[in-house]
Amino acid sequence: MTTFVDQVRELGIKQAVIAKSDEVVERITAGMNVSDVRAALRGDEPRRPNPRLRPHADSFWLHIRPSFYHTEVTNIYPTFRMGWMSTFMFVWETITGIILMVFYTPSPLIAYGNMWNILTNVPLGQLFRNMHRLGAEVMVIVVALHMLRTFVTGSYKKPRQFTWATGMILLVLTLMLSFSGYLLPWDQLAYWALTVFLSAAEAAPAPPVVNQNILLIAQGGPSLGANGLLRWYLLHVLLMPLLLGIFFFVHYYKVVLHGLSLPPGREEIGEDTAKRVPRDERSYFIPDLMTSELMWTALLSLFLIAGSLWLWDAPLETHADPVVTPLHVVAPWYLSWSQGWLKLADKTIIVGFIPALLVAFIVMPYFEVGKSRRYADRRIGLSVSMLFIAFMLVSNWMGTPEFRVESSPDREVSIKVLPEEGPSQLMAVPFEELQPGSYLPGQTIPGAPHLTLALEHYKDVLEDHSCTLGNPALANFHPAACKVETNESGENRYVVGINNKEAMPDPYSELRVEQIQDGLLKLTLYYEVANPDNLNEILNTSDDWVKYKHIDSNYAEECRFANKC
Amino acid sequence: MQVKIIIGTISFMLAMMVLGYAAIRETARLERFTAARSGRQIEAGAHLYNQNCATCHGVYAKAEECYDASTGEPIGCIGLPLNYAPLLCGDVSLRMEAMNWEGTKESFINATLTSGRYGTQMPTWSQQFGGPLRDDQIADLTQFILNYGTEELCSAPIITYDWPDTYAAFSEQFPDGDAAAGQELFVTYGCSGCHGNLEDEASATVGPWVGNFPEVSGTRVEGLTAEEYVYNSVLHPSDYIVEECPTGPCAGPPSAMPDNFPLRMAENPQDLQDIITYVLGE
Repeated sequence: MTTFVDQVRELGIKQAVIAKSDEVVERITAGMNVSDVRAALRGDEPRRPNPRLRPHADSFWLHIRPSFYHTEVTNIYPTFRMGWMSTFMFVWETITGIILMVFYTPSPLIAYGNMWNILTNVPLGQLFRNMHRLGAEVMVIVVALHMLRTFVTGSYKKPRQFTWATGMILLVLTLMLSFSGYLLPWDQLAYWALTVFLSAAEAAPAPPVVNQNILLIAQGGPSLGANGLLRWYLLHVLLMPLLLGIFFFVHYYKVVLHGLSLPPGREEIGEDTAKRVPRDERSYFIPDLMTSELMWTALLSLFLIAGSLWLWDAPLETHADPVVTPLHVVAPWYLSWSQGWLKLADKTIIVGFIPALLVAFIVMPYFEVGKSRRYADRRIGLSVSMLFIAFMLVSNWMGTPEFRVESSPDREVSIKVLPEEGPSQLMAVPFEELQPGSYLPGQTIPGAPHLTLALEHYKDVLEDHSCTLGNPALANFHPAACKVETNESGENRYVVGINNKEAMPDPYSELRVEQIQDGLLKLTLYYEVANPDNLNEILNTSDDWVKYKHIDSNYAEECRFANKC
Repeated sequence: MQVKIIIGTISFMLAMMVLGYAAIRETARLERFTAARSGRQIEAGAHLYNQNCATCHGVYAKAEECYDASTGEPIGCIGLPLNYAPLLCGDVSLRMEAMNWEGTKESFINATLTSGRYGTQMPTWSQQFGGPLRDDQIADLTQFILNYGTEELCSAPIITYDWPDTYAAFSEQFPDGDAAAGQELFVTYGCSGCHGNLEDEASATVGPWVGNFPEVSGTRVEGLTAEEYVYNSVLHPSDYIVEECPTGPCAGPPSAMPDNFPLRMAENPQDLQDIITYVLGE
């Protein structure tokens, strides 16, 4: 072995440095020298023996990756890159998550303050929080689509049943990871979403003593508090990622072992030729797949960064408050279906049904043993899966307050015009446009375009929750005619719409704006409903829906994004 | 493959440019969010003030316009004014000076909210000491109260009045009291919040009933006439503390009665003469 000094003596300094660099590159890549790398990037044929296979044999990072794929599976169809994207999202979440961990303490005393510190004091803090949150939701979508794709192309069939089973577990872990992170900001959104989730878990079909103890462990006490937050934090940053990592490697090992399944039409029925790849149909990892993956990494990063900056903001509501229940507590959208189901039947049945469904999904490939993966032979299976998707979408809608949890119509109007949490069109109106006084829904305010728009929205919402009995005094807005339902005790109930939503008959409503401090407005929504049988008698008035708006609160910025207002 | 390399390279460069763009605008964003944070604290504080404080300190924190929390009836304000220059103006406000507070104004208000003021009607608010509010809520309330300290409030000079030591000297300057005005002032200054009304002994819930003052106030302290006694008790409540209060032995010294009436009445010393006239039924 010659030393570098010897080499310099022998070759001169320039050649010796070149030779040394070559050697370093070869060590780092575990087998490819500079000219091999350049040849690979140019797309040249490899020399013999093929140096591009050595990293797969010798390096840690590539030893689990196949050195070549069937060219058919490297196109967008049939995989749509969903599996790879899921992995990318996991790495993305890990990196952004670790950065956020630096600024977070899992204690109810300061967790919420930490969130504001990230937003107000950490350079790019909001961006990283958005990237983490957006990434989590994208990951749920990608993993779900990955599963859908696997079902549609029949790739769960023999011999890949176990891969499917681990995939189902990974889907559940992804949902749990996303949801366990939900609690950490310790705001109202987090606190109540988890409280609802846990109260459902308490109804599991098991003896009460089991349920109560599970609840006690999950909450860390009789109610969700400091211990609960710490537990969910540890679940989120430790246990769930660890389990996900383990199942990911099992899953991926099986993927490599069986090979990626070819498009269904490419194989004879009942055959699995994924591992028998003819020489002329091979696409090598280096350079083809690697280039592709680097491109997707760049594209996805661009999408996630730009999306977090311009399209989407992670919400942050007010501090968690165990004694103030928001009017509508909703699960995150990816669990909304379960909330929808809970409205349909007894809690215990639903909570028992979900794990049963999961088990059914896991074992499905062992029972569904039809040999053909071709679409034409699987009309029933594919139809059932499409029906299931439609059912899930409807269930998700049923999870929203629209379905069966409307409260009184005035509160429904209030929560849309002046929500308890977060921005609305009215909250986003520039401060100077909101002069003290009262405003009618639908009123046009000269020189105040944003306010006029917000009052228009107020009118629309009010119309949606009102009905008319023909009172001519309603100058500004035109709700639909009332339908009258009479209940057993002879009381009239006024409803509108196809789903007989409760409505206010010929209401009067106004927005009252009062300045109570320098730069602080008090906004009150006032309602007055007259007795329909005797218009001089006021049945109901309400002025207890109050919001405050400070000149610096900057709700407008939250409203700019596509997902809000 | 070349296409992929080009797309990937461009995307990567764009991603870095987007990050750079975000970084350039970050200082301004941090400032906006810092302001928004404090704005939202004030909003939350306004809610809390309305729910917890307005009953005693008044709707506009001026110790005026207090309403019973359950019935909505107007009542006398027990609390001190908070929207009040002697509390909020100056680096060390008059109130902080009187309480010997060495810290900041923010910490003064925060501490008062957190642990209440012993011996007065101000309860402890923090959950640390058995109160109903979390510390973040106390911080919100503090921001809300500090927000009253505007330039407008603080640019007006604080009016003081050099109260004569004796009632005789005082009544030379302000000889005549108006009992009808005194009746109103008895509510405005919050006297009725603790001492009730003059008609019903049971209406006094915190401080001693003053309805019997025409008879008893001249006998309380040897050497003091009824007028002298009332005059002195309003201005220096801790000098003579009655033994029996409606809820048991009276607290103090110092007395539970606020000692800031010399300042609050400074703008209009006649008010005290009116109240004395009203209470003593002259």
